This record gives sequence, C-alpha cells and structure tokens, in this order.
Amino acid sequence: MHDIIIAILRSGTPLIYVTLAAVIAQRAGIWHLGLEGLMIVGACATILTIVATGSVFIALCVAIVLCVLMSILFWFVVEKLKANQIIAGLGLTGLGLGGTAFAVEAIFGTQAAVSAEFGLPRIGPMFGSYGVLSILVVLMPVCVIFMWVLLRRTRFGLRLAASGEHPFAARSVGVRTDLMRLAALMIGGVLCAIGGAELAAGSLQIFSQNMTAGRGFMAFTAAIFGAGQPIGATLAAVFFAVVGAAGIRAQLVFGDRVPHDLLLGLPYIATIFGIWLSAKLRGGTKAVTGFGELRDS
Amino acid sequence: MVDGDTIVLQCRDISVHYGDVVALSDLSVAFDRGKIHAVVGQNGAGKTTFARAVAGLVSAQNGQILIDGKAIPPGNVSGARQAGVELVHQSFALPPSFSVAETMQFGAQNRAVYSRKGLEKRWQKHLDALDVKVSAGQRIRDLPVETQQSVEIARALVTKARVLILDEPTAVLSPEGTAKLFERVRRLQEIGVTVILILHKIREVLAIADTVTVLRGGLLVEGPIDTSGIDAARLSELIIGPDLRVVDEDDRAALTGSAAVAHTTAMKEAADGPPVLDVRSLSTRVDPDGPALDTVDLTIAAGEIVGVAGVEGNGQRTLVRAISALADVSAGTIELDGVTMTDAAMKARRLAGLRVIPFERNVEGLSLSSTLWQNWSIRMLLERSILAFIQPAELRKRCNDALDIWDVRYDNVSQLAGSLSGGNAQKVILAREMDDQARLIIAAQPTRGLDIGATSFVWDSLRKAKHRGCGILFISSDLDEIMDVCDRVVVMLSGRIVEAFEPPYDLKKIGAAMTGLSK
Repeated sequence: MHDIIIAILRSGTPLIYVTLAAVIAQRAGIWHLGLEGLMIVGACATILTIVATGSVFIALCVAIVLCVLMSILFWFVVEKLKANQIIAGLGLTGLGLGGTAFAVEAIFGTQAAVSAEFGLPRIGPMFGSYGVLSILVVLMPVCVIFMWVLLRRTRFGLRLAASGEHPFAARSVGVRTDLMRLAALMIGGVLCAIGGAELAAGSLQIFSQNMTAGRGFMAFTAAIFGAGQPIGATLAAVFFAVVGAAGIRAQLVFGDRVPHDLLLGLPYIATIFGIWLSAKLRGGTKAVTGFGELRDS
Repeated sequence: MVDGDTIVLQCRDISVHYGDVVALSDLSVAFDRGKIHAVVGQNGAGKTTFARAVAGLVSAQNGQILIDGKAIPPGNVSGARQAGVELVHQSFALPPSFSVAETMQFGAQNRAVYSRKGLEKRWQKHLDALDVKVSAGQRIRDLPVETQQSVEIARALVTKARVLILDEPTAVLSPEGTAKLFERVRRLQEIGVTVILILHKIREVLAIADTVTVLRGGLLVEGPIDTSGIDAARLSELIIGPDLRVVDEDDRAALTGSAAVAHTTAMKEAADGPPVLDVRSLSTRVDPDGPALDTVDLTIAAGEIVGVAGVEGNGQRTLVRAISALADVSAGTIELDGVTMTDAAMKARRLAGLRVIPFERNVEGLSLSSTLWQNWSIRMLLERSILAFIQPAELRKRCNDALDIWDVRYDNVSQLAGSLSGGNAQKVILAREMDDQARLIIAAQPTRGLDIGATSFVWDSLRKAKHRGCGILFISSDLDEIMDVCDRVVVMLSGRIVEAFEPPYDLKKIGAAMTGLSK
C-alpha cells in the first residue's frame, strides 16, 4: 500500500506544480500550451546545473530563471505581437523539447540520458519508507494552498480572473490586463521550473529526452477539468496520477493477458473521459479574450 | 471663462480617432459641480467616446481633461479614478462568474486579502447603504439587467466618486426601471456627486437633467444649456441637425424620443384569408437564448405590423427562434399562411415565405468574412437541390442589381461584408430577406445601432412590405419606435405574452405591462 502512495506522490507532484501553472494562466485568459516546453527546460536545467556546479540550490535557481525568461518571451509574443496563443504555446513546447535535446547533444556529444550524482534533498529516514520523497513533495500542498489563497482570496486574484474573463471590465477599473497576464505567466514559469526539477531530480536524478512525456498537456487538461480552480485542478491532477499509477500496477498484474499498449494508454483514456465529463457538467469553460470592445457603437 | 470654483470637469480641445475614423474632434466643454448633466446625440455622435475619454479608457490624441482644475493623464483609468471619475458602461462591465461582493472588491483599494464571509458582510453594508436590493453572495450572471446596473453603479461608488458618468443607462431599462434609476441619480446628486448621463431620448433628458450638451458627428453642437431654457422641439433640431432628409413628424418624434405619443399613422390594411402567422398556445423548452415560451398566442394578418415590446431577455429571442425552427417546441402549433409548420424545417418555412432579419446583424445576419454576393445569395441555396450547380457570375450580377435597388453603398459585390458600415450591412440583409415572395417578415431589432437616416430607411422598407401584404413581426426594445411603426403591440414578460395594445398607445400602460405591474 505504501509503495502505491509513494508512486502516486512521485508521479503526481510534478504534474500538480505544472497544473497550478496552467490554472493561473487560464484564469488570466491564456490557453497555455507551452507548459510542456517549460517543464522540460526546468528538468534539463536542473540536472545539467547539478552536474556542472554540484549545487542543488543553484540548479533550482537556474531552472527558475530560464523558465521565467521563456515565459516572458511567450508573453511578449502573444500579448505584444498578438500572436495566436495556441500556436505560440506549441512553439514554446517545441523550443523546450528541441532545445533541451540540442543542449545535451552539444555538451555531451550524445543523446543518451544524463544522470546526476545526487538530486533534490530527501525528507529523510525518520519518515520510514516515505523518506525517499523529496522536499518538493512536502512543499506541494503548501504551494496548492498558497495558490488557492492568491487566486481566490486576494484582490490580485480577482483582478487576474477579471483580466481573463472580461478584460474590458478589468480595464474599466484601471487594471493593466497585459501586466496581469505577465504576472500570471511568470508565476507559471516558476511553477513549471519546480515541476520539472521534481520530475528530473526528485527521485530519478536523471534527464532524458522528452522525459516529460506529455505531462504539460495533461496539466493543461487538469486545469480545464478543474474549471480553473486551484483545488479542483489539483484534484484532477491527483486523479490522473492515480490512474497512471493504477496503469503501471495493472501492467504488472494483467500484463500477460491485456495488451501492454492498452494499459499504457489508460491515463490518456481517463483524460479524454475527464474532458468529456467536465464539458458535460459545466457546458465547457469560457475565457473571453476580447480587445475589440472599445469601439463607439 | 466660467468661474473655476463651480466647474468640476473641464475638457479642452479633446480629439479621439480610431484609425481613420474621427470619433471626437476638438471638444471643449465644462460641467458644473453637483448637477445632473445630460449628453445627447445620435448614434455615432461620439457620446460613448466622450465618456470613455474622460474615464481614461480611451486615450485622447490631444487636448486636456481637468478635474477640479487639475489635469488628469490621458488614457489612464487609475489616474481618472483617483481624481474621482467613475464610468458605468452601457453593456455592463461585470465578469459574469463573479459574485456581487467580488465585483465590488476587485475595483476597490482596501484589503488585499480577504475571507469570503468578511467580504460579503462588508459589501452588503455598502449595498444596503445605497439601497441596492441584492445579496452580496449572488453571482452576476444570475442577476436581471436592472439589478446588474444597480450593482455596477454601486461598484462605481466604492471609491469616493465625484463625477459619475452613466453611458446610456436607460437603454436596457423599462420605463419603470428608468424612473427608479432617476430617483437613485437624484439621491446621488444630493450627496454631492456630479452625474453625467449619456442619453438619447429627449423625454428623459427633460425629465432628469439640469443641463444638456448636444454632440453631433464628434463635434460639440451646443452646451451645456440649462434644460429650463429649451423645449423638446428645439432640442430635437439640435440633435438631428440640418438633415436634408424629409422625416415624417411621427418618425422624427420617435427618432428622438420627444413624442408626446400621439400616433396617427398606424392603420391596418387587413386582408381576407388566413393570417400570415398563427401561433397557438406555443410553449418551448428552456432555450439557451432566453426563457422558455409559455402558452404564447399570436396572430399576424397580412398587411399588419405587430410589435413585440418588453425588457430584453423576456423571451423575444425564444419566440423568433421558435418561429424559425431553432427552439424546441413542447406544445402548441405554428401556422404560416394557414399551413401547419410546427415541426417543419427552416427550408419549408422559408419556401412558405418566412423571412428573418435577425437580432445580431454581424453574427446571425451576415458572414462578415464572406463576400456581399455570397451573403446575399445564400438564401437561394435553400431553394434548390443540394447538388445543384451555382453560377457565381450570374449571382454576382443579380446581387449587384438587388443591392443597387436597396441603395447599398458598396464598391463591388466581391468585397467582404465586414467592410460595410452598420446601416449598409443592414440594407444587405433587407435586400436578401424582403424579396417579393416574402409573406412573414420577422424584424428583430432591425434599427439597433443605426443612425437616423438608416433607421427611417428601415421603417420605410417595412411599411412598403406591409403595403405589399406581408405580415411583419417587429421586435424592439425602443418603445417610441414600436409605437410609431406598429399596428398592434404585444408585451412579453418572462416568456409569456401578458398584454396586447391597440393604438392610440399609452406609454405608461405598456411600460407597466413590461414590468408586470399592471396585473
């Protein structure tokens, strides 16, 4: 039983961090499909910096700075250059996936996985078998609650939500919607960096190409599933993690009778089911991104 | 210059352009403190732009706006709000998923972090103090428009507002709601708030305002003038200007809302035979566009214009959708020209002569990214087999002829519909929908957003169709227009037809029926 919970926490924590990034972006009115790219950059930067400097702290800082810079780039492209959010987001993902592969190839001359000698600090043997979990797993619930307070119980959160739902209303009370979006994306960048760091250095201490394996898109889905609410989206992410862990368990148990590929696809089938369910319950989520209202009728 | 102490808001030479379009040019005007000011003008006169420029939502290309003698930075909402300027929008700027309390909070300055209970308690006090009857925990999307407006006014008063601008606040209100709003405005005046009302009805201006300022085509015509020194006729002249079009007296009164409401032109040309439209005990399921219809009875004879009055959102859209085969009918029948069409598809109904001028010109009426000839000829596609060939060259030519007859101003039929102005776009729809085979024409808000010339063109067209023997269902939220054009008026409230009126109309009675007070 314990090993299942540990497996869920390990696979779920990176996903939850990135889900929170998806939530804050969605509330600000941005369909953020660049999460995958930010996450893998966070993962890659963490491992490479640990290898280069031997400091986990510096590694986290580098990952965060890189992801925030990429988020600012994304903001500039969609907000200032008015590029299509979906295309720009997919571009960001491509940049992350390709850029990290290129970086590894350029530094080590091979595309093989890079492993670090150590990863993030663990919580220690005093927690028994849970001691193998990293400190970011413990930090995760704190972060979820912090995001809930920030988005649901502060004026900043209200203004952010207004910028996404009704930009004209936000501008009518003097809110700079472009800056709110910048703030949302930068906070999202930090969260993606942490999620990527946890993925690469939380348990495995390894970076391999495309190791995020669609988690950024899953996080995007969880945010929609949770209707843009931090708690709801986190629960959706936990649901995906549970389904994923169950899929692995199912491979061990039924692997000889049920096709392997079908079991691997279980989380994705659950994702599709989740989207359908959330659309059915709410009639779909809406994010207004209108700039055309300022015309005299 | 006027004595600086009494002036609260002064505009000096403000000009605003949107691209090539000049919305305001060199407007200089000053408003006295503690009074109720009206700003009037036709559509496109620059009223809304003026309001938004003062509130900092649009940036004036040149000129200065001074509050209490101090210039506020242009295009800066926070700066304008700090100076005490608040704007209530025509279509309210409230995020629909927010609760009332959250709406108040997000524009306020105090307490960055809150608890939900504390928040609702705090703002409930504010709402109670302003006598807005709403619970702070309710969501905006669940509120009726009149309450939304009160909430937005309360929202505007969370800070120390000294100048409150209301942009066409009466457009969404019933006469009853308007009276309540005016009471509220007077109370605000008593506590020292200067109120600027953007209006377009002369009757309302004379009822509430101390001064009136007239804009036309982005220019100041006159003002502020004391309302005690001006009458409706003179004011309507200022608003319309030296328009060369000869406008019928009743039309003129309806256009400016200055009518003493004596309608003389309404008369039926009733013909024999079955009614063009016969709706009996029609009920529908709940519709995404409004409340369900509840046992609606409605007949329209050939050569008759029947108006549907009502506050928006009381089932007018559902009625149109039911007649055009879009809503789910649960009971009752619809007959067109004596033929039962309750379950018939739109194709059969169109072939029977149903034509629709829809509510949303740019969404339902036209495909803005298609060409004029495509938009114009789309209805013919229904009349033929789905596999029939089309000949674009011939359609273009026929479209060309039709649009010329309807006096559409355009370059060529291959230009996109989105490039036309509102009035011309509406004429394209008229050219398509008001052909010779039309029997029943549904005109849903056909004049909304049009200027005076285009508005009277639409009315003329409808009257011509009526003389040809068409039945017309005319839906509008403008009572003056309805009373001028229609031979009979029915009032919708919550999906039901609650009362019917024949000329001569009594504005008060219709208004009472709209709000459910007459029963």
